[in-house]
Amino acid sequence: MFRIIRKSLKTGKVTGQYPAPTQPQPEVSDTVREKASVLGRSLTIREVDTGSCNGCEMEMNALMNPVYDAERFGIHIAASPRHADALVVTGPVTVNMERALKDVYAATPDPKLVIALGDCACDCGMFKGSYAVTGPVERHIPVDVKIAGCPPRPSEILGALRKVQGR
Amino acid sequence: MVDINEAVRSIQATFGTKIRSADRVREIPVVTAAKQDIPAIASHIHRASDLRGTLSLQWAVDLRPRQAAYRLYYLFTLGRGTWLILMTELSGEDRLFPSITPRIHAAKWYEREIRDMFGLIAEGHPDLRRLVRHEHWPKGTHPLKKDFSWNHLMGRQDGEYHFRQIEGEGVFEVPVGPIHAGIIEPGHFRFSVAGEPIMQLEVRHFWKHRGVEKLFENLMWSEGVALAERVSGDTSFGHSLCYCQAVEALIGVEVPSRAEYLRTFFLELERLHNHIGDVGAICNDAAYALALAHCGRMKERIMQINDSLTGSRFLRGVNVVGGTSVDLSLDGVTMIEHTLKEIQEDFSDLARILFHNASLTDRLETTGVLKERTARDHGVMGVVGRASSIDRDVRRDHPFAAYGHLTFKVPIYRYGDVRARLRVRIDEVHETIGLILQALENLPAGPISTAMSSAPRPGDWALSAVEGWRGEILYFVMAGEEGKVHRCKVRDPSFVIWPAIQFAVLGNIIPDFPLINKSFNLSYAGTDL
Repeated sequence: MFRIIRKSLKTGKVTGQYPAPTQPQPEVSDTVREKASVLGRSLTIREVDTGSCNGCEMEMNALMNPVYDAERFGIHIAASPRHADALVVTGPVTVNMERALKDVYAATPDPKLVIALGDCACDCGMFKGSYAVTGPVERHIPVDVKIAGCPPRPSEILGALRKVQGR
Repeated sequence: MVDINEAVRSIQATFGTKIRSADRVREIPVVTAAKQDIPAIASHIHRASDLRGTLSLQWAVDLRPRQAAYRLYYLFTLGRGTWLILMTELSGEDRLFPSITPRIHAAKWYEREIRDMFGLIAEGHPDLRRLVRHEHWPKGTHPLKKDFSWNHLMGRQDGEYHFRQIEGEGVFEVPVGPIHAGIIEPGHFRFSVAGEPIMQLEVRHFWKHRGVEKLFENLMWSEGVALAERVSGDTSFGHSLCYCQAVEALIGVEVPSRAEYLRTFFLELERLHNHIGDVGAICNDAAYALALAHCGRMKERIMQINDSLTGSRFLRGVNVVGGTSVDLSLDGVTMIEHTLKEIQEDFSDLARILFHNASLTDRLETTGVLKERTARDHGVMGVVGRASSIDRDVRRDHPFAAYGHLTFKVPIYRYGDVRARLRVRIDEVHETIGLILQALENLPAGPISTAMSSAPRPGDWALSAVEGWRGEILYFVMAGEEGKVHRCKVRDPSFVIWPAIQFAVLGNIIPDFPLINKSFNLSYAGTDL
C-alpha cells in the first residue's frame, strides 16, 4: 500500500504533458456543432475498426491514458453502440466489414455523429482501389467530421473532438 | 545447432531419386521434389530425430506470365534457426496438391489460405472451409492469381459459415464479435460452454482483409516500404525492416554499419513501448487499473521520443531500402540514455508493486495455459512461445541488423500461463533497455544509407526474418518484370499464434478470455492482411 502511494507521489501530475498539435484542425461545420449541442458537455464514443492497420486504435487508446486523459473533457468510450453519441470509424471499409459497419450505424441511437478517423477512413489511403476494400466510410454511412493523418496524433484527435463539443 | 549440409545429405539419403534437386539460394538450401512425394518428405523433416523441423511458413507463387505454373514453398526451421526450403511445382491446369496438414498441424491455416488466394486445393486437408474469403465472396475469386486484377470489383453471393458445433444437454454457444467492447480490432470468437468452463473456442478472422499482398504486386520494389509499415501499425518498424532486408538481399545492397545500429535501436524502441503498454493492459484486464495508468504514462513518454526523433510516433518513414532516412544527433543520444535510465527505474518500481499484489497474481497464475507440446505443434514462437519453453529468438538465432555484435539474454519461462507471458515481457523490457544503451554506446560513425545500384533479376527471390516485438516476422519477396514486386508473402507472428489460442482457453471461464487474449495480444491486421 505504501509503495503504491509513494509511487503516485513520486510520479506527480502528468496530464497535459504533450506537445501542442502542429497539424491544422479539421473543419467542423455549424450544423455538426448544432447536432452535438444536444449532447451537452459529454461525448460518448463507440470506436469501430473497419480495416485499419491498428495504428489509429493505438492512438485512440492513448487518448485514455493519464497524459491526454480525455475523460476530463467528458469524452468516454462506450462498450456498445447503443450507448454511444458518436461513432469513430477507422480504416478503409473492407468487403468483410461492410455489413458490420452498417449494423453498428443502425444500432446507434439518434441523434448520432460519425467521425472518420485517419487517412484510410477519409479516403482509403494506401488501400484505395483494392479488391478487398469497398470505399471510404462516407460511401456507406453519412460522415460528419473527418480527421486526417496516418495516424493522427492523440493531441490532434483530442483537439478535433473538443471542436465537435464546441469548445 | 543442426548442420545444414548434414541435414540435406540425410534427406537425400532417405529419399534417393525422389529428391529432384538440392540447390542453394542465398545460403538457404532448397530441396525440390514432385508434389506426390511432398507429404512424406515434409513429415520426415518434421519428425526425424536429427532434423525436428518446425514448419515456419508455407506459401504459393503464381509464376505467370513467365511460366504457366504454380510453385509451392515449405519453409522449415531446423533446431533453433537453420532454414530449409522444400519446393514443388504444379504445372499447367493442375490445381490439386497433397495436404501435409494430417501430419504437420502447423500447415492447417496456410493450406486454407493458399486455397482461398490461389484456388489450389490441398487434397486430404481435414477442414477445407473458407478462411480469408468470407462466404459472401463469389465463387472463383482467388485474388493472388495473376489473372485477377488488383482493383477487381467484388460481387456478393449468399453463403453461411459453419462453425464447429458441440451438442448436448446444457451446452451453449456464445458468439462474440466482430465488433468488441474495447478499442480493439474486429474478429469473431465462438465459444461453446457447459456451465462456466469453455469447452471449445473457434476463432474466425479475416474481417480486415485489405488485399495487402496483392497491393504489393502493384508497387515497384522501392515503394513497398510504406505499405509494409501499414501491415500492422503497432509493428510498423518491424515489418518495414523485414521488407527492406528482403529487398536488400535481392539487389545485393550492403547496408552501412551505422544504419544497422540505428535499425537495432529503433526496433528495440518499438519493442519497448509495446511491451510496457502490454504489461499495463494485461494487468488492467485483471482489473488492476493502477498498472495501466503508470504503463500508459511510460509508453506515452517513449512514443513522444519516437516523434521527436523521427517525426512519427510509429517510426514510420525511418526505414528505406539501403539503410535509414533518420540519423541521431549527439544531443539525441544523451537525451535517450538519460530518459531510458529513468524509465527503467520507474518500471522496476512498478514491477515490484505488481508481484507483491496477491489478488493480481492469483488471476494471472494457471490462467490460459498454452502447453509446450501445443505450442510446438503450431510452430508458436515469440513472446508467447518463450513463455511456453520455446527457446527461439531471431535476434540470437539468425542475427540481423547489429544484433550479432550485442549481448542480451532471451528470457524463457515454462508454465505458459498469463503470468509467464507477463514475466517474459517484463524481463524483455530490461533486456531491451540494455540493448538500446549498448547500441548507442557502440554507434559507429559513417553514412546511414547506401545508394541502390542494380535492379533485381525477374524471378529472383529472397527471404528475411526479423524478431518484432510479438515474434518472428517473415517476408518472402520475388522480383518481377520492370522493377515490380512479383510476389510478396507477409507473415506476421499473429497468423501462427491465433490457432494456438483456441487451445489455451480450454477449461478457462469466458470472463478470463479477455485477460488471456490480452496476454497473447496478437495483431488482427497482421493476420488478415
